[in-house]
Amino acid sequence: MSGPGRIIPGAEIADTTAVEVDFAIVGSGAGGSAAAAVLAAAGAKVAVLEEGGHYTRRDFNMQEGWAYPTLYQEHGNRSTEDLSIMILQGRSVGGGTTVNWTSSFRTPERTLALWSSRHAVSGLGAATLAPHFEAVEKRLNVGPGNPDDVNTNNRKLQEGAARLGWQPELIRRSVQGCARLGYCGLGCPLDAKRTSRTTFLADAVAAGATVYSDCRVTLLESDAGRVRAVIAEVLDRDLDRPRGRLAVHARRGVVLAGGAINTPALLQRARVGSDSGVLGRRTFLHPTVPIVSFHDQPVEGFYGAPQSVSVHHFADRGDRVGYFFETPPVQPMLAALAMTGFGDSHRRLMERLPYAQSTIALLIDGHHDDPGGDVRADSDGRVRIRYPLHQALREAAVSAITDMARLLLVAGAREVWTLHDPPLLLRSEADLGHIAAAPFGPNRHTMFSAHQMGGAPMGDDPARAVVTSRGRHHQVENLWIADGSIFPTGLGVNPQLSVYAHARLFATEIARAG
Amino acid sequence: MRAPRGALRLLSPAEYSVLAAVAARIVPGSGAPAGWPSADALDCAGKIDALMARVHPDVGHDFRRLLRLIESGLGGALLAGSPRPFTRAAPDQQDARLEAWRTSRLALLRSGYQAVKRLAHATYYASPETYALVGYPGPPDVPQPPGTP
Repeated sequence: MSGPGRIIPGAEIADTTAVEVDFAIVGSGAGGSAAAAVLAAAGAKVAVLEEGGHYTRRDFNMQEGWAYPTLYQEHGNRSTEDLSIMILQGRSVGGGTTVNWTSSFRTPERTLALWSSRHAVSGLGAATLAPHFEAVEKRLNVGPGNPDDVNTNNRKLQEGAARLGWQPELIRRSVQGCARLGYCGLGCPLDAKRTSRTTFLADAVAAGATVYSDCRVTLLESDAGRVRAVIAEVLDRDLDRPRGRLAVHARRGVVLAGGAINTPALLQRARVGSDSGVLGRRTFLHPTVPIVSFHDQPVEGFYGAPQSVSVHHFADRGDRVGYFFETPPVQPMLAALAMTGFGDSHRRLMERLPYAQSTIALLIDGHHDDPGGDVRADSDGRVRIRYPLHQALREAAVSAITDMARLLLVAGAREVWTLHDPPLLLRSEADLGHIAAAPFGPNRHTMFSAHQMGGAPMGDDPARAVVTSRGRHHQVENLWIADGSIFPTGLGVNPQLSVYAHARLFATEIARAG
Repeated sequence: MRAPRGALRLLSPAEYSVLAAVAARIVPGSGAPAGWPSADALDCAGKIDALMARVHPDVGHDFRRLLRLIESGLGGALLAGSPRPFTRAAPDQQDARLEAWRTSRLALLRSGYQAVKRLAHATYYASPETYALVGYPGPPDVPQPPGTP
């Protein structure tokens, strides 16, 4: 052991630098940090490469105009190629966990069963994962759901669902000393959110790992079926353009954890094990459909824990695509992006922001015939994401919008506005029929994604999976993937715990194998 | 022609003037009460130029091409009966052109509308100058974490 490592910003990395380690880990979010902590604790020399910058609570100013360009992929502009789905995905030391809304769920057992029966995933039952979930929940301080977390925005969802018998549940959150400011999505100014940076990455660094921020991995060097090194561009943080080169030679192996968009894109760009035809396909986004309601009393959805209530009553709809309800923070920039129209009509909605309540429906994609989307990286690194809206998803979206509108009217909303473009105004149950009659399709309704999954799925069949059920690449023996890209379908819940737990399991077995 | 406040990082002056003209129609709306700043007053187009200079160069290239397409009289004539360049059309004609793209049967035009709509709304409503106008008090004071001096 050689004492603690540290986090080295790109500005301190010489233009041409080469280092040698046991394991190179690409990405510092939930997956990369859990893998780094396990491998470093086992005595391995570990380097973590992170494309984004390193920020802490002193940097987090709760301003949307700073946070989205600084802490999100493509400076907050990531989306499907046709702009129909805006993709919120983290990009900083801590990855998605820097900006997630703290919601903590284990992988549902019915999702694990689907992977086992339909996707040849073996040996990954709830019992196998349980000790890893327990360890992660302990480190992230995930306790039982807390009724004191419920702000007015979430209470409307809770009350409406309860009145309809739709079984609202409190969300378990990864926080310690949370002041419920409401700014999880912009970086916690108290570091009260338990992110990968404040937990497993800190553990890895304490055990000797080195983290290189502002380093975008663009190449994997391999020969004879083994990966030898990862090559990164060292970025000038202000310009976000390369100014140097970092080569990390990996004696024992490489773990990819850049997330479900960037990991498939990196493997395509590096042309490593990309000939199966599976890579970059079956990308799942939990396509997310918001709705806005206005109330007589202030809601102030910009303050308070952003997500504390979920409704999974419609998660299993049999032959039809399921969905679940949660809430977003209702802060001005995000609200302005979500609300449709321009000029006076849009401004009149924005003027009522304190009275606005928003609920979101997350569609559980990949569990039926819907094939998801795909990711393609150009040779110069531009990533193109396509996500055609399968008919089964359109049906689910229309059904979810109708259910959310009904719920919010029951919860006392004076007006419900859909985010069709142009929007529909609904004042009573009698208006709900308008929803099915309105056009729904790309850029005809606001859609987001905060959960990216798939694209490099796990499974025992190399013709249908990129990695094994233990994350090892089917063609490259010392290459593993430990992020959301391994999931064969959408999860049906917010993904952070699933990513941490699978990565921790995989890394434990990598370390055990020596 | 609207002129940039400072040095442009991505756009040409002509492209900037198109973006500024578009932003001025998207926010805050011609019926906005007194006190609502214009898109120009908040330098929305300048902020968008700075943002788009940092995305992938090919994405920036596509954005510049979109602005030139919006400006072209050809697109205007086809879609809303106006042959004039966007920057020289009357405000109600500019709105009609944006509305035609917004609701077009052509998916590509709806995408183009969304690009400028989102960038204008994001820069305008992320500006602290607009917080009070939408009833947002802004970020709260942060309690001092235990143990900090």
